[in-house]
Amino acid sequence: MKREISPWPQLILASIVGLGVFSAHAAEPIRLTSDGHVKRDPVFFNAQRTELLYVLLEKPAQLRLMKLSLVNQSTTPLHPTETRSEFEPALSVNGRYLAYVQNRGNLSLALVIEDTVENRTSEVPPGGGFSGLRSPTFAPDNSCILFSYPEEGRQQIYSVDVQGKNRQTVIDSEGVNNWPQFSPDGRQFVFSSSRDNDYEIYVVQSNGSNPRRLTNSPGQDIRPRFSPDGSKIAFTSNRDGNYEVYVMQSDGSNLVRVTNHPERDDYAIWDPTGTSLLMISERNGSFDFYRTEVP
Amino acid sequence: MFDIGSFRAATCKGIGRRSFLKWGASVPAGLMLGQPQILHAAPAPKAKSVIFVWLWGAPSHIDTFDPKPNAPSQYRGPFATIPTKQPGVHYSELLPKLAARSDRFSLIRSHVTSQPGHPDAGTVGLTGFEERPEPVQPNFGAIVGKHRGHKGSLPPFAMVGRGIPRDVVRKIEGFGGGKFGKAADPFMVSCSDEGRVEIPSLQLLEGLTPNRISDRNEIRARLDDTLRQLDRASMSEWDRTYQRAYGLISSPQSRAAFDLTQESPSTRNNYGQTTFGQSCLLARRLVEAGVPYIQVNWSEYVECMTPNCDFGWDTHIYNFELLQDTHCPIFDRAFAALLDDLQARGLLDSTLVVAMGEFGRSPRITNRAARDHWSRCYFSLWSGGGVQPGRVIGASDKYAEDPLTTAITPRMVGTTICELAGVDTQARAELKVLEGGTVIHELL
Repeated sequence: MKREISPWPQLILASIVGLGVFSAHAAEPIRLTSDGHVKRDPVFFNAQRTELLYVLLEKPAQLRLMKLSLVNQSTTPLHPTETRSEFEPALSVNGRYLAYVQNRGNLSLALVIEDTVENRTSEVPPGGGFSGLRSPTFAPDNSCILFSYPEEGRQQIYSVDVQGKNRQTVIDSEGVNNWPQFSPDGRQFVFSSSRDNDYEIYVVQSNGSNPRRLTNSPGQDIRPRFSPDGSKIAFTSNRDGNYEVYVMQSDGSNLVRVTNHPERDDYAIWDPTGTSLLMISERNGSFDFYRTEVP
Repeated sequence: MFDIGSFRAATCKGIGRRSFLKWGASVPAGLMLGQPQILHAAPAPKAKSVIFVWLWGAPSHIDTFDPKPNAPSQYRGPFATIPTKQPGVHYSELLPKLAARSDRFSLIRSHVTSQPGHPDAGTVGLTGFEERPEPVQPNFGAIVGKHRGHKGSLPPFAMVGRGIPRDVVRKIEGFGGGKFGKAADPFMVSCSDEGRVEIPSLQLLEGLTPNRISDRNEIRARLDDTLRQLDRASMSEWDRTYQRAYGLISSPQSRAAFDLTQESPSTRNNYGQTTFGQSCLLARRLVEAGVPYIQVNWSEYVECMTPNCDFGWDTHIYNFELLQDTHCPIFDRAFAALLDDLQARGLLDSTLVVAMGEFGRSPRITNRAARDHWSRCYFSLWSGGGVQPGRVIGASDKYAEDPLTTAITPRMVGTTICELAGVDTQARAELKVLEGGTVIHELL
């Protein structure tokens, strides 16, 4: 039987405190942008970590990859002439490879892999019929790319090499498996799965073996992201009734709620120092980047 | 393009910016409905206005308002449920604002439609009848509009959206006047996420600048030039158009109805900085201005992820991601804000608000971990305008595949809307519309 979550944040807050979950009292998040448009999927884009790559709902029919300077907040399109939607970008640790999902046709989406050194583009094409790949992420040593893909009523996690070849099944379970990300040492990866009813966060060895469940809450625990030193995991959860950002130790202990706002906080990524998170938050109905300290 | 009015800007965040009402170029068909078609004395309608929110593409009923938490995993999907204000009634966790307001509207869980494809089901959903045999029947809004006629210079039937609802193949035939003719088509208006309003059907005044709006002679000259270019057959239609367009353009009151910058930042924020959110706000302003029927379209295209298509609810792929990340949060916020706003202004009792799509989605999860079309069971939401709130009408079976109770059809939807909007049995008979339709009495 599926569990039920309460929409009443104050009740949940009271209950989770009782369960040993601590609410952070960090400084108010700092707003980094002000355009307010719908945006998603941020990743750091350069080695200096002064630039973000993210996805903007530029117009009603197009998601566009955008670069955001954290120095002067200027934004520029990554592919200015592209007319198809592109989203869910991922960058290799050394910055050589960029992967993203590209809309190729009617309900048909491919995974594009750009090699910026060789100036070469590879792809994992869409499957037959209506289908799309999603949520790519690189192994730290560029040995593979993980992505999520639906087949036979389930959504599995697969790997390919950086040429988009040698496809292998890595996670094969009931339900939806999504949002994989490697630990900094590449030995493990985290992901969310609905195999146990609603979305929970799991960690496995890099080959998909030895799954361990890290969260156990009503509602969604999604988009897990390892901290730069691998000791913590940030993720989004609606366990308090709306979407907030949480941080836990990489073994699932010491859960801390980082944000606390009636509107949505989501898409958290770690600052290179591991002391703060960048995220997309909804405030007054608008969506912007914010930076918040990790207590 | 003629920009009418220059409105100080105010985005949702209060950032100054200039925006204009943009008037475009073709026949403003929605302005041509002429005089009211009230053929007999009738009591005042319970719903002075109707806002019909068209969730084009067909939202998944099992992932939203009819969850089945005890169904096997291949049906229920990854979402948990949350309680509502009604004991024992649960929605998907994706709709917390509406769950907290479930006492403000009634929910029907036992809809069925006769068509499994979008344009066909779209026509059925908007008219109550299939496209064939011809003639195509009028949209419920065209019926209400024809019955009510104009109030001042504003149209009786407005459609807020990027264009006539369609899929990549074709438009819905039943989007507008149908057998009533083009004169009964909706007055199209679009709204951006920043609240910039555009009216693409009035582009005949291209080149005029906002500061010339007061120069009536120039406007008249432009219109006359356009008229001279038309053939004789179109002339009589343009004669009516001329009067209506001129009235709408030159009326500050009418122009103000389309000016979202007159709203407070907090009101605009409540709806969210999204196209759909600001479109719902525009609908509320049109209600205040006295427009009898406003259809708000979620999208122009049904397709959820297709080049040049605006992310409809047709989630053959990415169903769970799109519902979770965009569609449900945007709908939850905007529709809740619409109900709050109407109630706070004392308008909800006199405004019927209905939200629905053309069908539901397959309860059994597809091979692509998503959901296909499902015409056998879906939902609608009803609030205000004579509807008793807080009711759950009808029930589906354990997998949300079929109604367990009497099936409720689109024709019943249209009949109920028209009845509440004052188009009673006699008026419907005189207009020769919705024959065989019955009112959904459980709502009243």
